[in-house]
Amino acid sequence: MVLSVTEKAYLYESLSAVPPLRPDGRAAHQFRPVELFTDFLPTSNGSSKIVASDGSECIVSVKAKVVDHTVDNEFLVVDVDIAGHRDDSQFVLSIGSILTKVLTQQLEQRGLQLTRKYSFKLFIDVLVLSSYSHPLSLISFAIYAALNSTYLPKLISSDDDLDVAELPLFHDYDLEKLDVRVPLLFTVALVGNNVLIDPASNESDVANNGLVVTWSNGKIGTPIMTIGLNDDNVKGFGSSHIRTTLEMIEKCAPQVVKALDGI
Amino acid sequence: MSLLSVRKPNKCIMSTGTEIISVTKRKDGFQFVGNLESDFESDIEMSDSENQNQISGEAQDGSIVTPGELVTDDPVWMRGHGTYFLENKTFASVAGTVSRVNRLLSVIPLKGRYSPETGDHIIGRIAEVGNRRWKVDIGAKQYAVLMLGSVNLPGGVLRRKSESDELQMRNFLKEGDLLNAEVQSLFQDGSASLHTRSLKYGKLRNGVFLQVPSSLVVRSKNHTHNLPGNVTIILGVNGFIWLRQTSEIDLSNHGSTISNVNVPSIGPSTGEYKPGQNSVAITRLEEESSWEIYSDKNDPISNAVKQTITRYANVIRALAHCEVGIAESRVISAYEASMAYDDIGSLIEKETMEAIGRDVINGEKMRGNA
Amino acid sequence: MSRLEVYSPEGLRLDGRRWNELRRFQCSINTHANAADGSSYLEQGNNKIITLISGPQEPKLRSQMNVNRATLAITVNITKFSKMERSKSSHKNERRVLEMQTSLARTFEKNVMLHLYPRTSIDVQVHVLQQDGGLMGSLINGITLALIDAGIAMYDYISGVTVGLYDTTPLLDLNSLEENAMSSVTLGVVGKSEKLSLLLVEDKVPLDRLESVLAIGIAGSHRIRELMDEELRKHGKKRLQNASS
Repeated sequence: MVLSVTEKAYLYESLSAVPPLRPDGRAAHQFRPVELFTDFLPTSNGSSKIVASDGSECIVSVKAKVVDHTVDNEFLVVDVDIAGHRDDSQFVLSIGSILTKVLTQQLEQRGLQLTRKYSFKLFIDVLVLSSYSHPLSLISFAIYAALNSTYLPKLISSDDDLDVAELPLFHDYDLEKLDVRVPLLFTVALVGNNVLIDPASNESDVANNGLVVTWSNGKIGTPIMTIGLNDDNVKGFGSSHIRTTLEMIEKCAPQVVKALDGI
Repeated sequence: MSLLSVRKPNKCIMSTGTEIISVTKRKDGFQFVGNLESDFESDIEMSDSENQNQISGEAQDGSIVTPGELVTDDPVWMRGHGTYFLENKTFASVAGTVSRVNRLLSVIPLKGRYSPETGDHIIGRIAEVGNRRWKVDIGAKQYAVLMLGSVNLPGGVLRRKSESDELQMRNFLKEGDLLNAEVQSLFQDGSASLHTRSLKYGKLRNGVFLQVPSSLVVRSKNHTHNLPGNVTIILGVNGFIWLRQTSEIDLSNHGSTISNVNVPSIGPSTGEYKPGQNSVAITRLEEESSWEIYSDKNDPISNAVKQTITRYANVIRALAHCEVGIAESRVISAYEASMAYDDIGSLIEKETMEAIGRDVINGEKMRGNA
Repeated sequence: MSRLEVYSPEGLRLDGRRWNELRRFQCSINTHANAADGSSYLEQGNNKIITLISGPQEPKLRSQMNVNRATLAITVNITKFSKMERSKSSHKNERRVLEMQTSLARTFEKNVMLHLYPRTSIDVQVHVLQQDGGLMGSLINGITLALIDAGIAMYDYISGVTVGLYDTTPLLDLNSLEENAMSSVTLGVVGKSEKLSLLLVEDKVPLDRLESVLAIGIAGSHRIRELMDEELRKHGKKRLQNASS
């Protein structure tokens, strides 16, 4: 949706004021409410669905497969499908590559290793049914919830199979919870001197720039990078923006993790 | 693999609210909030006794019908929207309620896009600039048309349109611009032709836009209201809403609306010009119709007014969330109810929105006009 | 390993149903109110399907515009994770999926009153989250519900179901194990009538058995129509109560 000149002026002026006046009254560090559903796909090892208050919706399935990691050392595949975008479009590809990079970097293959020869390989499929603002953060929340509700079959055969070659054997119905620390991604919009977390679509339209920050293992991780939220309002930003952003994420992220964990 | 999934009835729903993010979590379930009985029934048996309840009799006024259902076999009725005629019988083509007005029988769908009617006060967004016309997105099935000849141009109403006007159409209205207008007429295919030939209509500025389902806005005499807090609302019949800082023109045109809420309207509300309170003398019109009406600049707006606008926007979203009809009085009482929440940002939470919706409805019941 | 018995002499199927029983059927409409004009979520057995409809709306491309009626476009997205075993390739441009889209569009073009919405397009997006046989029938049911939710005029419900023929016994509403073991027929039935708007026979079915197959299929579809109708009325009642409160 294209905004009118006066709408943009009104928004920009409000968002760059001190303190910022966001169009839905949120504080700079406040997220929009989300609804989260897990464990609804019995044929997947883990699944989640997240719905944001603006109707953006993302579904994630996690499936695991046993592979010989001496042959195939890729232990994670992320596949992104965004309705309304071609699979080979720049937008979809870039989101897919960011997620693959972050998850491969942060998840440990050790946690997936079964025996000295075999380990689980995770297939994370992301389906974005609808999105109005940049979906990256929402997707990462959904992946977080899916991986944290993923259960894998329990190994009952020996974990040393280099001397005696045998295929791993699993318990008939006992499952073990996947124990991984999943990174989260946060998007912020930079407007004037302000930093706004979880920008809505109209806020993204007037933003001067966007930043993605990774949060893993209870601290800020990499990558930290810029993303384009719109095409015509882009400006540079200074170190103060980055400092404010990192401070804000450091303050918010633990609470987001807590809320997603549902404790 | 179990072929039959029996879902556990103990759904655990928890909500974690903090000031930063609220996550509502549901485990072991999708978005079915279905009744628990159906969780226990597994396979569906072929019923021997068909549901016989709809066989006899005609659908009553206000009752729900679904596509293919017989509404009446009495051929005297004229068939309106949402019905079709087959072998002397009238059937429903949409799911909705039956309405009988005079001889006209129609089914009003429970949901659907806005369908324009002549005289509607609507808000639209320019989608395309074409040859002597603008295409306007009004949330209907098709774009509406606004002819160059149906707008006031700088220089007054009596001025002739010239070729140079055609060349500078984007200087008046361009893609993305918002305007309020009246539906002047309908084309054969149901799309609307608009006009802005009155000072109440034209390009919108000094405010924010929001959208609600059009079914929530009821057609009434007046759709522009000055609200407490120096804010003016334009409630488009199409569900597009504009909230702006009250201007002098708003004050002079509609200053008395608040005290007039309960005065019944006289006659149909479709006329554009009514001698008296709502009209402006030709000379004034000429003055006002300078380039300023197509200005792309906002007036200075104080933070206090902006915050009030945001609060109004949030309470309107809350009313829409509760699927409550949106009218001036309700917006004001929701605004008052929202004052219990100091932080405007807390109004986006589901529970808060529902609480405000309940407050408004209960308030009306107490006053006895529900 | 004992051979799987598709239909036991006692008359029980793999999942314990009898020959004339449907799978669990649950549906809801208006599930994605903020994202679409009409939406539905359907579970038929282990099939899980989300349908989103936008429109009637201004066509995105001029070339899609028809001055006499609306253009109906149906996209079926079968997700890679929809089966037990994840598929490696995307199903988007598979011939099977393209064929499904075409036959769905044909099924609904006759039933939706497209002439009421000239110069517009109606875009249907179906996302298959999980599939377990009889997919085509479930797709039809999901689309019917979403179209009604969008308030788009149509002559009647279309309900779909797959019927297989095991030896001489017709089996109603196949799951994927059964579907792989026998020839099957998918039908789309118009309302309470015995008219078919879709008939898909992909394997050989003896002609003298077709009638019994169709008979149970039509009866099953009628039952599905009833279940959808119940849900719609329940939903409608709730909305009306909301509005009048």
